[in-house]
Amino acid sequence: MTPTVKNVALPLICLALLLVVPAVVSDSYTRHLFIIAFIYAIIASNWNLSLGHCGVFNFGHLTFFGVGVYTAAIAAKTLGVSPWISILSGGVTAALAAFIIAAPVARLKGIYVVLVTFAFSQLAMQLVLSQSQITGGAEGMVRIPYLKLGDYSFIRDYKLGYYYAGLALLSVSTLFLIAVTRSPFGKSLTAVRDAEDYAASRGISVSRQRILVLILSAIFTGFAGGFYAIYLRVASPEVFGFGTLSLALSMVLIGGTGTTFGPIVAALALTFATESLAGIRGFEEARFIVIAVAMILVLRVAPGGVLGILDRLLPSARQ
Amino acid sequence: MSSPILQAVGVSKTFGALKAVNEVSFSVNRGEIFGIAGPNGSGKSTLFNLMTGIPFGPSSGQVHFEGTQIDHWPAHRIARSGLCRTFQKDAEFPELSALETVQISAAYNGRLSRKGAASEADKALDLVEMDAARRTMKSHGLSVYEKKQLMIASALVSKPSVLMLDEPASGLTKPEISNLDALLINVNKSGITVLLIEHVLSLLLSVSQRLMVLNQGAVLAEGAPAEVVKDASVIEAYLGGRG
Ligand SMILES: Nc1ncnc2c1ncn2[C@@H]1O[C@H](COP(=O)(O)OP(=O)(O)OP(=O)(O)O)[C@@H](O)[C@H]1O
Ligand SMILES: [Mg+2]
Repeated sequence: MTPTVKNVALPLICLALLLVVPAVVSDSYTRHLFIIAFIYAIIASNWNLSLGHCGVFNFGHLTFFGVGVYTAAIAAKTLGVSPWISILSGGVTAALAAFIIAAPVARLKGIYVVLVTFAFSQLAMQLVLSQSQITGGAEGMVRIPYLKLGDYSFIRDYKLGYYYAGLALLSVSTLFLIAVTRSPFGKSLTAVRDAEDYAASRGISVSRQRILVLILSAIFTGFAGGFYAIYLRVASPEVFGFGTLSLALSMVLIGGTGTTFGPIVAALALTFATESLAGIRGFEEARFIVIAVAMILVLRVAPGGVLGILDRLLPSARQ
Repeated sequence: MSSPILQAVGVSKTFGALKAVNEVSFSVNRGEIFGIAGPNGSGKSTLFNLMTGIPFGPSSGQVHFEGTQIDHWPAHRIARSGLCRTFQKDAEFPELSALETVQISAAYNGRLSRKGAASEADKALDLVEMDAARRTMKSHGLSVYEKKQLMIASALVSKPSVLMLDEPASGLTKPEISNLDALLINVNKSGITVLLIEHVLSLLLSVSQRLMVLNQGAVLAEGAPAEVVKDASVIEAYLGGRG
């Protein structure tokens, strides 16, 4: 495949297909799966910015999502802020949370980054559980106000509005990721990942780039969290849990670290795959094992992820 | 006589019990090519590392650059101030092309805009005469010589006042070394002070104006290259170190 086909034509075709899906798919359950897939795609592709592009082993990425969820829930329900603004404020607080965790993480290496970021996500969950006055504790929050545009309520028309809002959020997030990774800043992230000393000796501050990439990876993840809370109208501490984390991680790894579209494709595929497995008798609980096996297979056969396989099946047109 | 552009004052670097660099002092004059020789393990690369903050400065002692004490600065700040280096081992950003590598150096080290970085990157790669057809492929596919050219270009693009080269000739063929020789002379003529660590003595002797020899982390001899190579202790260290 030529780079233009892979980076421009294919994504545009996918976007066009996703734009017409609601015309073909009218039941609200399938549309719901798409919306959840869009949200996971945002989580996974933004996680990939720090993990894949910059090599920061941030295992607290779902914290940014959870912070977005609770910010939007509290803003919309408790403070009565418009749901639209609540979603946006989820991105702001997620970026703030990233800033707080980034300072210690920027100077740590390898396994210590994993430990500290994972501990941070557990801390965030404990905070949510303990502040039940504000967060609803283990019960979570329900009946969060839904989206409206003028007089149009998004809960009508079998989730049509939410479908397009989710797709729009994913599209903007993807454009943002493309802009970041193509810029000199984006290249410097790869430089920091692959050769720290060389990067530093070319004027790149390794710790500053690590801090920045964590903050940037949190913004759209926080928006996605806000959208998730407003869409489902609930906020529960599960979002910080290991299940969400491992599902999102498998999307990044199966999709291919360091690519922008890989985790998005994987998020869509895995969301539908886990759902259909859940429908098969006997597979209700086994689906996570299936994902784990798929993840190991992909990592063994094609460490570059599914898009890497695609590259090999359709060899480059260049000589 | 103007003040030295770069000066080390009693710098040491210890790794556990090992004194890899032991109380080394020297100064480099503006505009010269200053050669550094010494047997394997004598502390040459460690000296470069501590002077450029990779990964930290010296355990003790001071480094002065352009009259400013820089030994406590982080590596990226030292590089931005105009003290730029290459590495002995192949250093590369495997996923970036030569053009991208030089561009980010221009953007960060040289503080250039995106446009400025792009045009300066082309010029720097022209200067080291890197094959234009090889500039857009990922660096991991480049040859040893091309990687060395790239490392030098990425240092030169930000117009450093001092260029420190750690064994740029290792692994190169004779004709490649003579190209390198010519490049160094050119770079130096353009006003850049050069520090050169080299095992290929012929290169070192042909381009250096002054030569320092290290042995077991300490300065063994320093002076005009022709004099230094005649020094009995230097001959001893080289034959002893190699034999
Ligand atoms: N990071 C490190 N940790 C521990 N020991 C080190 C480290 N770096 C270098 N050394 C030791 O310090 C000594 C000096 O090493 P250095 O690489 O500076 O020598 P060199 O003169 O550059 O040798 P060569 O000619 O082989 O490149 C060696 O004994 C080496 O093993
Ligand atoms: Mg060395």
